[in-house]
Amino acid sequence: MDELTSVFIQESREQLAEMEAGLLVLEQSPDDPGNGELINAIFRAAHTVKGASGVVECHFIENFMHKVENVLDRLRNGEIPVSGGLASLLLKCGDHLTTLIGVLEAGLPEPAPADQATGDALLAELSERYLASAAAGDTAVSLRDSESGEVMASGGGIVVTDSWHISVRFGRDVLRGGMDPLSFLRFLGSLGEILAIETISDAMPAAAEMDPESCYLGFEIRLQTRASKADIERVFDFVREDCELRILPPNSKLTDYLKLIEALPEDDMRLGEILVRSGALTQAELDEGLNAQRDEAPLASADNPPHIGEILVDNKVVQKELVDAAVGKQSRIQDKKAVEARLIRVQADKLDQLIDLVGEMVIAGASANLLARRSGKAELVESTSVLSRLVESIRDAALQLRMVQIGETFNRFNRVVRDVAKELGKEIDLVINGADTELDKSVVEKIGDPLMHLVRNSVDHGIEAASVRAQNGKNVRGQIELNAFHDSGSIVIQVRDDGGGLPKSKIRSKAIERGLIQAEQSLSDQDVINLIFEPGFSTADQVTNISGRGVGMDVVRRNIQSLRGSIDVSSEEGIGTTFTIRLPLTLAIIDGFLVGVGRAAYVIPLDMVVECIELDSHGVDRDFLNLRGEVLPFIRLRALFELPDDAPPRENVVVVHYGGQKAGIVVDQLMGEFQTVIKPLSSMFSHLRGIGGSTILGTGDVALILDVQALVQRNSRIEEKTLNQASLARAS
Amino acid sequence: MKTVFLVDDSATILLSISNILGKAGYATEKAGNAEEALKKFAAGIKVDLLITDLNMPGKNGIELIREVRKLPAYKFLPILFLTTESQQSRKLEAKAAGASGWIVKPATADELLNTIKLVIR
Repeated sequence: MDELTSVFIQESREQLAEMEAGLLVLEQSPDDPGNGELINAIFRAAHTVKGASGVVECHFIENFMHKVENVLDRLRNGEIPVSGGLASLLLKCGDHLTTLIGVLEAGLPEPAPADQATGDALLAELSERYLASAAAGDTAVSLRDSESGEVMASGGGIVVTDSWHISVRFGRDVLRGGMDPLSFLRFLGSLGEILAIETISDAMPAAAEMDPESCYLGFEIRLQTRASKADIERVFDFVREDCELRILPPNSKLTDYLKLIEALPEDDMRLGEILVRSGALTQAELDEGLNAQRDEAPLASADNPPHIGEILVDNKVVQKELVDAAVGKQSRIQDKKAVEARLIRVQADKLDQLIDLVGEMVIAGASANLLARRSGKAELVESTSVLSRLVESIRDAALQLRMVQIGETFNRFNRVVRDVAKELGKEIDLVINGADTELDKSVVEKIGDPLMHLVRNSVDHGIEAASVRAQNGKNVRGQIELNAFHDSGSIVIQVRDDGGGLPKSKIRSKAIERGLIQAEQSLSDQDVINLIFEPGFSTADQVTNISGRGVGMDVVRRNIQSLRGSIDVSSEEGIGTTFTIRLPLTLAIIDGFLVGVGRAAYVIPLDMVVECIELDSHGVDRDFLNLRGEVLPFIRLRALFELPDDAPPRENVVVVHYGGQKAGIVVDQLMGEFQTVIKPLSSMFSHLRGIGGSTILGTGDVALILDVQALVQRNSRIEEKTLNQASLARAS
Repeated sequence: MKTVFLVDDSATILLSISNILGKAGYATEKAGNAEEALKKFAAGIKVDLLITDLNMPGKNGIELIREVRKLPAYKFLPILFLTTESQQSRKLEAKAAGASGWIVKPATADELLNTIKLVIR
């Protein structure tokens, strides 16, 4: 796809989002008198898409948006009233536009027949309901097409000349309009050959009265060209309103020249001479003409304008002006301060490339650092540490480039909530907080689907029907909140509803039915709730087409985990449910804590490290220790990864926390913090638990990045199992 | 080399016009809205022609033209505006504000270049 098309696709999506946002407001409050600017904005968005689609020559979008724009234009001009129905219809048009943009993006020449039919149906509905009465007005503007057969007046012989004659007197303000009369002449020259040109400066006042910024000039021009009259006229299009222009085609009748002479403000005799001099007329022709006119003069009465041809021309001019003026007064101009941020569009892959390079620089920097320290030269260590500080700043700045606000993603849900709620007959408000919270673009792109699922769930299962809410003494209008905020190195996104909460007993019985838990198993409330994340779980009695799409919460959780994130749920029956998603700020680079086990090196994400302690090797035969009175379960990496060599006499414990849980990781050596670029593991290793990626050390060695979340969870599962076994053992 | 200043809120239009002009040997300056353009004018940007869209968020093209014309340095600057057939009526308004002429969208590259040749020498 060429650059222009991809810019167009991106732009259209943005404009479409703007249209949708406007239409949603319009739909909710069609009678608000302050809607004028809103409608203007919607129109503008549609107009931009249409205009740009013409530029990229995507005719199916252009044709579709043309009608949509027409309707919006009428709406803008107050010719049709604002109504919820119209807004809904236009929203559907927006949906169709999304489809069309998809078609363009896929590189197809035209939409599939079914999509085409959808579009045609929408257009038909628009036409029928909102354009019908306007059809008559469309034809009024095409007056200038019929000008070819001008000046068919009678009398006088043909003047033998194969050139056009152009008389032009410029208006006084032509310079002030940014027009240069000479540029017209030059352009005329490009149409053909200018045989003769006379400058008419009769209108020039005395020097004292002359305004140097005004134009007093006119020209008589003989032009030989194959261009049509329309082409010549077009040259003067921009000054037509305020200049006098007369064009005589080659071989015009003598009377036409005479009319010309008469009509021009300058002295008749002088003009005659000019025409003769420029070669348009011969002296004989001029004399003959003047004589003939003298003979005919008594026939023309003083009241009647003498020249029919000229009247025709004048009539046309008048009509043109009428047409223009009739539509001339509109456009209420509102002085709205533009708050749009100044943006530069950059292709995403260029950014990725930059981040990649910065990543390499980080690695190279680490290597230089290492060598400097080994060399023991203080100056070298000093300068490499300055360098690495700078690299760190560059890394942060580069990552910042990829940060986008989550607001755009959130705003999509306005539409989703509205549509779904409408379908279900519920009344739901969507409240958005922290729309300006920033996170990595790649994270934003991938979080959309899981969020969509959660929001749909909340609308469908979370918020109760209005009657139920009324019964329970709740506000009939349900509320869904989307929150985003930063929290210690990660970003938190919450989807909260004030609905009925998760029905624990129902979840429990369903889980038993599905064989996820044993009937007699005792679980905490939180554990019961967490069952919804288990594969193959769905509590909806009826699979609705809103959320029951065969995609369960387990998929949501998996998607979020693949972003190195986590999801938690808290719920209170009758009060509501909150889903909390935690995500890393970026996927590319982390601050890591380097540890060693045997000869292998591992990296623990630094923001999860709480502290490091020494493991007292004596008397530790169980997998937990006493951390200032708290029980801390730990994992021996050596055992987990089945490393062959023996543990050294002294081992260390790195205490990590994740999602409210703490755990220890037993390692041999602590090697300190360093920043590192995450290199994803190839798909061959994707089934490995406990490892999130790899990185390259300054020495060139590979270190594996630990997936702390998986380790912590594994740990707590083992703990539960042993507890269960213990309690079972006690029971038997 | 002549420099053409393009003002349009549509990135597609900006890119396509500047591609055409670039091939034809013009330099281009670009702004995505009237406010940005006015800032550049206030800073004394040197251009030979301004081409602006009329319909833009914030200040529209007509207001832009009016304000540019008020600046002494740009009193005689050729200004073209982009318009569509449906906006025929706004030509008068834009002309009154000080525009030199217009380009009807969508225009072919030849139409565009011809119109530009018409207003800058």
